[in-house]
Amino acid sequence: MGVVGELNPRRKLVHLRDESWRRIVESEKAVERSFQEGRLFVSLAAGMLLVGFLLVGQWRGYASLSSDLSRQSDQSLGIIIEEITAENSELRNEVLRLELRMLEAEREGIDRSEVLNEAAKELSGLRVMAGLSAASGPGVTIVIEDQEKVLLAQDFVALVHDLRAGGAEAISVDGKRVIGISGFAGEGGDLEMDGAALAHSHHVVALGSPSDLEQAVELPGGFVSTLSTFPGVTIEVSQEESLMVPAADTIQFIYGEPTTQ
Amino acid sequence: MLALLLALALGIALGLLTNISIPAALLTYLGVAVLAAIDACLGGVKAALEQTFDDKAFVSGFITNTLMAAFIVFVGDRIGVRELYLAAVVAFGVRVFDNLGTVRSLLFHRWGWE
Repeated sequence: MGVVGELNPRRKLVHLRDESWRRIVESEKAVERSFQEGRLFVSLAAGMLLVGFLLVGQWRGYASLSSDLSRQSDQSLGIIIEEITAENSELRNEVLRLELRMLEAEREGIDRSEVLNEAAKELSGLRVMAGLSAASGPGVTIVIEDQEKVLLAQDFVALVHDLRAGGAEAISVDGKRVIGISGFAGEGGDLEMDGAALAHSHHVVALGSPSDLEQAVELPGGFVSTLSTFPGVTIEVSQEESLMVPAADTIQFIYGEPTTQ
Repeated sequence: MLALLLALALGIALGLLTNISIPAALLTYLGVAVLAAIDACLGGVKAALEQTFDDKAFVSGFITNTLMAAFIVFVGDRIGVRELYLAAVVAFGVRVFDNLGTVRSLLFHRWGWE
């Protein structure tokens, strides 16, 4: 019993010692393993970090390289040149097309403004001819004194006719415009023009070439030479550089109306 | 595994933050070197999963492979065989895909997906 009682605690001790040795070795192994795992992790992580870093650098470097023409391959340079050439010719065509359109528009504008100017000139000429607007310019004034009241309506018709033959562009008698439908009437000194009585002293203004007009009325056998032989009639023709002829009263058509034919 | 991806993301972020850009003259060398580095990392992950990882082997492999890759391209440039870099690219490319396949199957095995 005694031996067994002695042996048992000894075995226990040996067992305990072995057990503690085993645990020490295990824990050392675990420490070693975790140490190794730590080194594994650190080295792998460092490698990955470096890879990521270099990847970004490479990416950036290549991105800036591909935008640098001097680094392009011949083939891609050829493609780039071709693309640029095509784009260039397209742009040139566009420029030409636009220039052509600009020229056309300019010509059209010139044409239109020329036509408008012509039309405006013509219209103002027509207005002057029709007596719708007042006119000014060189011409002659003819002052006729008729103390004996011997002048007849046809004398004024003749005067207007002579003036028109001399190239008169606008004529007024006693401040009234002579137009296409003007007429003289009356006799024995009670003359009237377009329904308005004329005085005994007449003041005729005609616009045109002053010398031509003067010549037209002073022709031998003409207005002046004929009428100045009448008693009490004096006629004075003078050339003027600046004369004014008023506009006619508004014309109202009662029977006639304009047609396009 | 997640930590390694985080490390990769950290490296990319670091690169973006430091505004690093490789000079044009070094691009070809570094391109192959980066390929070698990727191969080394994948090999390291594979070894770790197979529990045969040795940090000394990994670090020395990483450095040697990247330097040798760049050196091969450099030598090719010097001796007029510019296409030599293709050899490095093909070699490392094949290894990268090989390692990737092994890592994938090991991971699947570990996660019990197969």
